[in-house]
Amino acid sequence: MKRPPMLMRLKIQGEKKGFGLWLPLFLLLPLALIVFIILSPLILIAVLVLWPSGWGKRALLILRVAFEICCSMRGLRVDVQSGQQCVYISVV
Amino acid sequence: MTENKKKILEMLAQNKISTDDAYRLLSVIESGESGQESASKADANVRGKAKYLRVTVLPEAENEHSGNVDRVNVRVPMSLIRAGIKLTSLIPPEARDKVNGALREKGIDFDVRNVKPEDIEELIEALSDLEVDVVSSKGEKVKVFVE
Repeated sequence: MKRPPMLMRLKIQGEKKGFGLWLPLFLLLPLALIVFIILSPLILIAVLVLWPSGWGKRALLILRVAFEICCSMRGLRVDVQSGQQCVYISVV
Repeated sequence: MTENKKKILEMLAQNKISTDDAYRLLSVIESGESGQESASKADANVRGKAKYLRVTVLPEAENEHSGNVDRVNVRVPMSLIRAGIKLTSLIPPEARDKVNGALREKGIDFDVRNVKPEDIEELIEALSDLEVDVVSSKGEKVKVFVE
């Protein structure tokens, strides 16, 4: 089981202005978990209602894959520079 | 049978070496062969454990220190690619047909339904052999590789 990412660094530099941001994902993840727990009865009902059409199973799988994608983002780095403009995203 | 092993057996047949010597020489050759095999296996393992797909665009060396250059450095974890490919199996049939149609319009005759989970590992393994190295007419170096 992979660990979810802990930090995300975002840096956007325009020609004149720019900003950098450190996102503490390790603090956001517990919040996301709480939201998920609160919404889980609604998700469960939606899945049960949609199950006969085949979308219920798909919705569950999408949730699983979305979590997997979130965990797989650790190590992602995008650094694009064009002239004075720059976009930098790093997930650690 | 290798050439060296044949020579040893010939020397043994001609009584030039003793049975013990022949045995010792043969075991030395066999250990060398197994060493080579394990080295190639280790090399395959290293390639199999490729962690990132890298895409880099580097400016021409002369322009590198000037401010007005385009530079790209992208590192995508293989696990993210793996998870992304898994998403294709969740595309609803109607959307899948649209995707296939759009691909066909672009001249790519590919059916996303054919991407099966068991093919993913094979695809990732094939990616570890990928290496693209292009130098544009402007002198920019484009590299796509796996590390």
